[in-house]
Amino acid sequence: MKQSFIHKLANFSFMIPYLTLFFVFLIGPLIFGLGLSFFRWEMLSPAPPKFIGLGNYQEALIDPYARKALWATARYVVMAVPVKISIALLLAVLINTLTDSHQNFYRAAFFMPAMITISVGGILWRWFYNNEFGLFNTYLSKFFGIKIPWITDPDWAMKSIVFMTMWWSIGGAVIILMAGLKQIPKRYYEAASIDGASEFEQFINITLPLLKPILLLVVVLNIIGAFQVFGQTFMITRGGPEYSTRVMVHYIYDTAFHYYRMGYGSAMSWILFIIIAIFSTLQFRLSRGKKQNA
Amino acid sequence: MRRNTILIEIFIALLALAFVFPIILIFVTSFKPDAEIIHFESILPQQWTLDNFREILASPVEIPIFRWFFNSLLISTSCTFVVLTVTSMAAYALARLNLPGKKKFFAVIIATLMVPGQILLIPVYFTLDFIGWLDNPLALIVPAGSSAFGVFLLHQFFKGLPRELEEAAVIDGCSVFRIYWHIILPLSKPALATLGIFTFIGSWNSFMAPLVFMDSVDKYTLPVGIALFQSSYSSEYGLTIAASLICTLPVIIAFLFFQKHIIKGISLSGLKS
Repeated sequence: MKQSFIHKLANFSFMIPYLTLFFVFLIGPLIFGLGLSFFRWEMLSPAPPKFIGLGNYQEALIDPYARKALWATARYVVMAVPVKISIALLLAVLINTLTDSHQNFYRAAFFMPAMITISVGGILWRWFYNNEFGLFNTYLSKFFGIKIPWITDPDWAMKSIVFMTMWWSIGGAVIILMAGLKQIPKRYYEAASIDGASEFEQFINITLPLLKPILLLVVVLNIIGAFQVFGQTFMITRGGPEYSTRVMVHYIYDTAFHYYRMGYGSAMSWILFIIIAIFSTLQFRLSRGKKQNA
Repeated sequence: MRRNTILIEIFIALLALAFVFPIILIFVTSFKPDAEIIHFESILPQQWTLDNFREILASPVEIPIFRWFFNSLLISTSCTFVVLTVTSMAAYALARLNLPGKKKFFAVIIATLMVPGQILLIPVYFTLDFIGWLDNPLALIVPAGSSAFGVFLLHQFFKGLPRELEEAAVIDGCSVFRIYWHIILPLSKPALATLGIFTFIGSWNSFMAPLVFMDSVDKYTLPVGIALFQSSYSSEYGLTIAASLICTLPVIIAFLFFQKHIIKGISLSGLKS
């Protein structure tokens, strides 16, 4: 009995380093951040932090900049996720028809941009998008005599951010979807083509239904990721023009580390967290549903 | 049918070229003089020059690129070491050892996978301030050890190893630590490699944490250094693009070497449920 207690202690000691970091840098800050969100704490003013209950959350509801940030984030999510998933699915299905060695090659090529840090990717695309001497407008004006205000027009800016993001991050979705396609048994397709089903019919009747669980997962993961967009807008448009691309994380960053309003920043962090948590719960629901079906 | 395959291959090949093209552009543009970058005429430099790299070497104060490179290397390497050590120990206990309530532990850890890092930015900033780690590389190294993803990935792998290995070792009187060190870890090299490469590249490319937690120019990592250099010297195109190449080349080389592990890691993260 005593020995087994010592054993359990020895077993538990393997958890200690992880649990320490887990509580100090994850659970602790999570709770601390929630606490902070109920305080008014302006680090630039001499006033001490003051408990204001839901005051910060009320402010977020009426703050026009917070609304703009939420709107910019929503626009990004609604544009980026469907476009990315459709293109990634198309690419995965097409690449999957090629020979194995070519598959590996293309998969790597499409993923390679994701290896680039966002500051380098941002600098590069800021130059591509430049009105006067950018790569795109140079060629557009040379061949078509037009110039597109990629990042100088509020209507265009977010679309340009989405376009850049497709280049930067589509590879991950392609890889996951290809892994999903590999799990579909080949004999289904063989049987279907004997029955005379066209390739498009096979895609609709075999690929889509069998890929559905993974497709849903990719969609939800991408929605969650899209709500946290920051690097692209920070580097390429700096949130402009007219705040049209200042997304929520960007506004939280500005609030906390430029205006030093820590309580308000924490409250907006929690609002974003709640939005993301709703989608994450959805993901858990969906994956549980999938297991019951299987 | 055959013709279709060729058409698909051509379409995919052209698109793949478009995806890789910007990376090639970083490479060739860094050998262009400033004037050619501003007035874009051709993709390849009309006049190849090493001036951009020379100028970087000559301005160690404005753009201390080797300092940043060293910082990034030190931070990413240490980060990888911390994550591998800490998460493999926890995953071993959770997957292989008799531990009361471990299922609940594991569920809580997995639940935190959905806590986005950005949400923790403000409170972690104060935690680091409290410990005295702001503007210190430790701020970018130690917190990474709380990665739930690492525990999850290794846990799944450890669970798949055959039980008999341990039973034989226990009969021989091996301690749990020796089993972990001499049996589990050597057998888990593929999983450790995947997690290690993931962690290294994630840390190398990490942008927001060093942006917020580091203050002095000589403490920056490469991505933040380049970003802030670009925003204060925005007309130095040649320098910026050459610095970008120095930042990008190591990851691209690492990717070409380890792409199998990287792609496996991503497939796993998607197929996890």
